[in-house]
Amino acid sequence: MVVATRQSDSMFSSGRLLDEDKINKALNNASELGAEYAEIRLVSQTTNTASLKDGKLERAIPGQEIGVTMRILADGAWGVHSTSDISSIPEQVGPTLRLAKAVAARRSSSQLPVGLAEVPIIEDVTHWRSVKDVRDTDLDTRIEMMLAIDNEAKDHENIVSTSTGWSDEHIHTELMTTEGMNRVWSFQRSLINGMVTAREGSDVVSYRMRHGGEGGLEVIESCDLGEMGRNARVSALRLLKAERAPSGKMPLVADRDLTGVYIHEALGHPCEADLVAAGDSCLEGRLGQTIGSEICTVVDDPTMRGGYGCYPVDDEGVNTRPKNLIVNGVLTEYLNHRETAHRYDLDPNGGARAQDGLHHPLVRMSNTVIQGGTHKDLDELIEDIEFGVYACGSRGGQVDTGRGSFQFAAQEAWIIENGSLSRPVKDVSVSGMTLEILKNVDGLTRDAYLGSPGFCGKGQTVPVGDGGPLMRIREALVG
Amino acid sequence: MIPDDAVERLMDSALEIGKACDSEGISQWEIFASQGYGHSLDIEAGKISMASGGGEGGFGIRIVEDGRYGYAHLVDPSSASHAIGQAISIARKSPSIEGFELPGNHSATSVGGMKDKAILDMGPEDLLAQGDQVLTRVSELDSRAVAVGGGVGVGAGAGAIVTSSGIEDGGIYTSHGIGIHVSIDEDDQLTSSYEGESSRTLLKDLTACVDKAVHWSQITRQKVSGKGTQDCPVLMTSDGFSPLFSVVVPSAIKGERLARGESFWSGKMNELVIADHLSLVDDGLMEGGMSSGSRDDEGVPSRTQTIVDSGRLTGELWSTRDAAKLVSEGKVDSAFTTGSASRGGHTAPPICGCSDLILSSSAKTHSRDRLVEEMEEGYVVHSVMGAHTANPTSGDFSVTTSTILRVEGGEIIGALSQAGFSGNMAKALSGRVVLGDSSIRKGSYSTGSMHVPDVLMMDGLRINPA
Repeated sequence: MVVATRQSDSMFSSGRLLDEDKINKALNNASELGAEYAEIRLVSQTTNTASLKDGKLERAIPGQEIGVTMRILADGAWGVHSTSDISSIPEQVGPTLRLAKAVAARRSSSQLPVGLAEVPIIEDVTHWRSVKDVRDTDLDTRIEMMLAIDNEAKDHENIVSTSTGWSDEHIHTELMTTEGMNRVWSFQRSLINGMVTAREGSDVVSYRMRHGGEGGLEVIESCDLGEMGRNARVSALRLLKAERAPSGKMPLVADRDLTGVYIHEALGHPCEADLVAAGDSCLEGRLGQTIGSEICTVVDDPTMRGGYGCYPVDDEGVNTRPKNLIVNGVLTEYLNHRETAHRYDLDPNGGARAQDGLHHPLVRMSNTVIQGGTHKDLDELIEDIEFGVYACGSRGGQVDTGRGSFQFAAQEAWIIENGSLSRPVKDVSVSGMTLEILKNVDGLTRDAYLGSPGFCGKGQTVPVGDGGPLMRIREALVG
Repeated sequence: MIPDDAVERLMDSALEIGKACDSEGISQWEIFASQGYGHSLDIEAGKISMASGGGEGGFGIRIVEDGRYGYAHLVDPSSASHAIGQAISIARKSPSIEGFELPGNHSATSVGGMKDKAILDMGPEDLLAQGDQVLTRVSELDSRAVAVGGGVGVGAGAGAIVTSSGIEDGGIYTSHGIGIHVSIDEDDQLTSSYEGESSRTLLKDLTACVDKAVHWSQITRQKVSGKGTQDCPVLMTSDGFSPLFSVVVPSAIKGERLARGESFWSGKMNELVIADHLSLVDDGLMEGGMSSGSRDDEGVPSRTQTIVDSGRLTGELWSTRDAAKLVSEGKVDSAFTTGSASRGGHTAPPICGCSDLILSSSAKTHSRDRLVEEMEEGYVVHSVMGAHTANPTSGDFSVTTSTILRVEGGEIIGALSQAGFSGNMAKALSGRVVLGDSSIRKGSYSTGSMHVPDVLMMDGLRINPA
């Protein structure tokens, strides 16, 4: 049946869920059966989600989920077993090892066996404690916070509905490996969001807002929620009057949210070394080459506390550190896990992340930020643009990493005419080719910081942060 | 793959949790239980890179008292009392909805084709053999082609729902799926295509998906220039149309969104909303349907419901709670569940969503070749990037495509490298539309499964070549 073990609230993140003796026996068994490497990773998530619809509680869901994933490397290939039943792990060692060997047997002589880069073997416990632990936040507080947005967002006759949402989680991970790694870590994330729908006649538009980061209630308290609601209302009403966006190639200025999504999609994904190894990245073989404008320096940093994509230890037990993906336009580093670091003879840089305890780690981004430039502000960025678009807020994006083409969509936008913002437009999307458009970045304001939190899908979904300064692209395909 | 008594075990645990609810004095409760098992393999860089298996599951508890509801989920039935306590405390803080009660027990029609013994009997070695077959097919079709990503998987799940009103239902379902991403990288030009397919029964021919991926990687290599930004007819293949359709349309037909003015079809009941030969049916009883079953996810018998009849909006989707809530708020005079509750698993309470949604036409449908002739000049779009960024409230979308063919004089003359593609889905479907003669089923960005054919839309769309 399903899970056999539940951690008591009192010992959460201070006690262990994995029975270390039993897990060590299972790992030893894997080694004796011929495994080159085996790991067992458990993730326990205590979650709380809630939402309001038009200011009334729509749902509140507390939950605790546990998942365990065992990976076994044998004959240079992976076998994986994932389950919510911790007690089944020892009996799955043999079948999982056989899976790995069956995959290995299919490898041709021209294909490389999987190897793992060496990393420090660490036994420790790391807790990133929140100032205000999410597990101490009650439902009344969550409702009060959401109402702070709602009360401001709905205040106009053309606003036909509002919705707000809440999500917080405490994530506790344990990792044990045949190499002797035995690490425990925990941290928390908090998020608040909302959506406003405005209508006039048959025209209907919506505007979304989101705030969050690594940490507890203090993350939400740091945000002026009333202002967020007001801004969303104003934006939605403005969208009602906005014209359809122009189409064609033109200068584009992006706000922090869109700059972040752009750098995430256009550069971050092609830098993921598992995609490079799969032959699915336009950046394959380009380490050390100039791929962007010299004003572009991009860092992916899971240690940036407060960012929604933070984590203290990666899901292979590797210590995290900032990764300089591009320095002054030169591609300097891929995002790696141990397998790709070994393949390309690079230092592991802590880029392995799994969605939860039921998924195996992939190479993922964390908090990805393009560094600030020299322009003072928006006015200075647009002063010499005859006709272009200033686009704000993200509706998401997507990339084809192999081709190097990407797309992202803005929540709202303005036409830039003769150096000034003129009329609002809607449904702006931007597309381009990574290797062309990075060279077209010709202006960045000085101040760079993370934009709104986001979620990244790559078969698995993980929270990410991204951002930067205001960014000008000389020529982009709009619409 | 799944224990023979999986449903009975789930049902027993659910009944135990139900008893615990009874002992707390809860008058209305619902226990939803699920347990899934599966095998899958990953394909990368022309080889099988990983094989995996496993299972997961848990229980969701929904309680209702005086129109107030609370929900909690858990994986270990022995911790049910803690979860029940959480659900009770949430219910106390929830608004009371007059008339909201959990569904009663009504007889339901059995739906066939939900499980296939051939899938249940499959082991990891069988799946690996299928992976071999897929990879061999790619290289047979084109020596330049590489399967850069994708995989094959089989799954079996047991589900059960038990309620205080006497609903005790459960069953086993299976699935078999393939996704394959093929690219051809030659002469400094990379073209690629991702194709996928899934079924409740064993897929008879895995290579059909591979053939399509290789085909689209090949036919997009002959590049031509576009004619600048152009408002023109666009033929979307069913693969390209389905993701956009799934973001925009299922959301627009939810009763709550229609009642709150959040749908582009709000206030248009019984009015013509799309071309008068088009109809939209939500079929919760489709044999083998990936989103069908005898009951919805709160135990209400499923049904087949016409949403748009000959272009006219005639139906909408409701769950039990949404219907009661919107009536109590005075947004609608009356509303009743349409058996349209769905949920992603045990961790969430039911929400309103479509099941197997079918777009059809009473007018003559055509082959893809005939549709290309029909459009005279325009484009064929086979996939889009950024479908999830479409706006479900307004129907507007602005996406990118790298799988786009230029049509002139009723013939395909070549492919564009990349183009922007924008318009409004609701408006495009209300213009001149011709459907293709074969429909395929696709997964969805929202709830449910989309069954759509190729769609030629003559009006309201813009192509912006890169």
